[in-house]
Amino acid sequence: MTDQTPSLTCDEIRDLAAPFVLGALADGEAEAMRAHIASCPELHAELVDFASVLPILAASAPVVEPPAGLKARLLAAAAADPARAGGEAESPAATVAPAPVVPVPAAPIVPAAPIAFPSAPEREERRVPRSSSPGTWLLRIAAVLAIGLLGGWNVLLQGQLGEARTYEQSVAAVLDTASQRGALAAILRPSEGHGEGLAAVAADGSVALAMRDLAPTAGSTVYQAWVIASDGVPRPLGSFTVGGNGTAYFEANGSPVEASLILAVTREPRTGAQTPTLPIVSSGTATTEG
Amino acid sequence: MSETPTPLRLRVATVADDADRSVLIRVSNGELIALDELYERYKTMAYSIAYRITNDATLAEDVVQEAFLGAWRNAERYIEGRGSVKTWLLSIVHHRAIDAVRRRRPTTELPEFEALPPPALRAPDVWSEVAAGLDAVEVRAALGALSDVQREAIELAYFSGLTQQEIAERTGTPLGTVKSRMRLGLLAMRKVMTMNDGTSMTGQEAEPR
Repeated sequence: MTDQTPSLTCDEIRDLAAPFVLGALADGEAEAMRAHIASCPELHAELVDFASVLPILAASAPVVEPPAGLKARLLAAAAADPARAGGEAESPAATVAPAPVVPVPAAPIVPAAPIAFPSAPEREERRVPRSSSPGTWLLRIAAVLAIGLLGGWNVLLQGQLGEARTYEQSVAAVLDTASQRGALAAILRPSEGHGEGLAAVAADGSVALAMRDLAPTAGSTVYQAWVIASDGVPRPLGSFTVGGNGTAYFEANGSPVEASLILAVTREPRTGAQTPTLPIVSSGTATTEG
Repeated sequence: MSETPTPLRLRVATVADDADRSVLIRVSNGELIALDELYERYKTMAYSIAYRITNDATLAEDVVQEAFLGAWRNAERYIEGRGSVKTWLLSIVHHRAIDAVRRRRPTTELPEFEALPPPALRAPDVWSEVAAGLDAVEVRAALGALSDVQREAIELAYFSGLTQQEIAERTGTPLGTVKSRMRLGLLAMRKVMTMNDGTSMTGQEAEPR
């Protein structure tokens, strides 16, 4: 079975239908199946019948809720996705503008009437061609962070809303810096589950950083921000403490300015560290483009 | 999800699918909010399956993130098709999870084009009917139709990611017997589902569970 030729007969397809649907074919066999199905005039209804069982199988898996942070990581990755960079965000301003005060409904209401599925030309018409301007990209990031905020919103008690608002204001401050001409921006992602944020480096070397979901500091412990330029040497930007709400806003000067910089945050036993204590808590690459 | 006056499985599925597709169109336009909606709808289904297959929280997270990133990248391609969005996502998550356990390492790059179900599998609406109308009773009934050896073969394939050859070796069973257990098992489940068709709908879309 390991030396499958790319062409299978319809009889062989029937023989392999059940394992194919269940994902139990070796790669080459599965490829051969797909090639056959794509070109075979016969419908192979049995494949459809078998496949219709899969949702039942899937539903037999015990329900496990994904961790809350996964959505923010997904959306940040999507926003920074090179395969979609420069893609068009349809009216990004409208996406960002509403203050994220009301939780997004988990399951939007099903429309009363079926929506007519638009034809390809109609969809094309709806698309708004848009070049990859930093502005669009920034709005996307702002959307991500706003959404990331919303992700945790459902579990936030009313008393914790202040924390989210604080972070929102920090993000706005960073975006101010990021929107300056020649500025770089980065999404910082946690290395081990906690500590995400947004940073901007202006053309004059000033840095703004907004972080959330950081473990609080205590005693002499601080978080320290670092910038790593093309020489690969981490330069300390300064340190900051984090209170019980896990958010922080930090500004510094004197960053080198290059086309691409890495920004990182570490946890240090005290201020003044000249080399980072590993592991890096959160990091991201600052560029002028998505 | 919402009350639908028509107590027909097909009707419910169609409406749910239309809502899904309208979300997917917005995803294809690069709207992160729409990706957020899609994620909210199917995160539990996706993560449950990924976790069941990988039995590893980190790997399951990778699988789910990659699957939704795949949807983000390929929504444009997908909406040309006619199948249900839920089933499409289900198949992406399944493929990726199986891939992950076979390699036992997180895949770091996405293939250029996400594995779509072959056209023949997407063609009829029977998938979306089934996907939209699942309830616990139906699931139990369908699984109850399996003999022990059929269930073993099917679970080793679908959830453990073993190939049919590996299942034959693991269970000390000839390959032909493994194939026929899978085949007869799927047919038995399908038969139960067909019997239930049109008799168990309440007009509410069931959650993945």
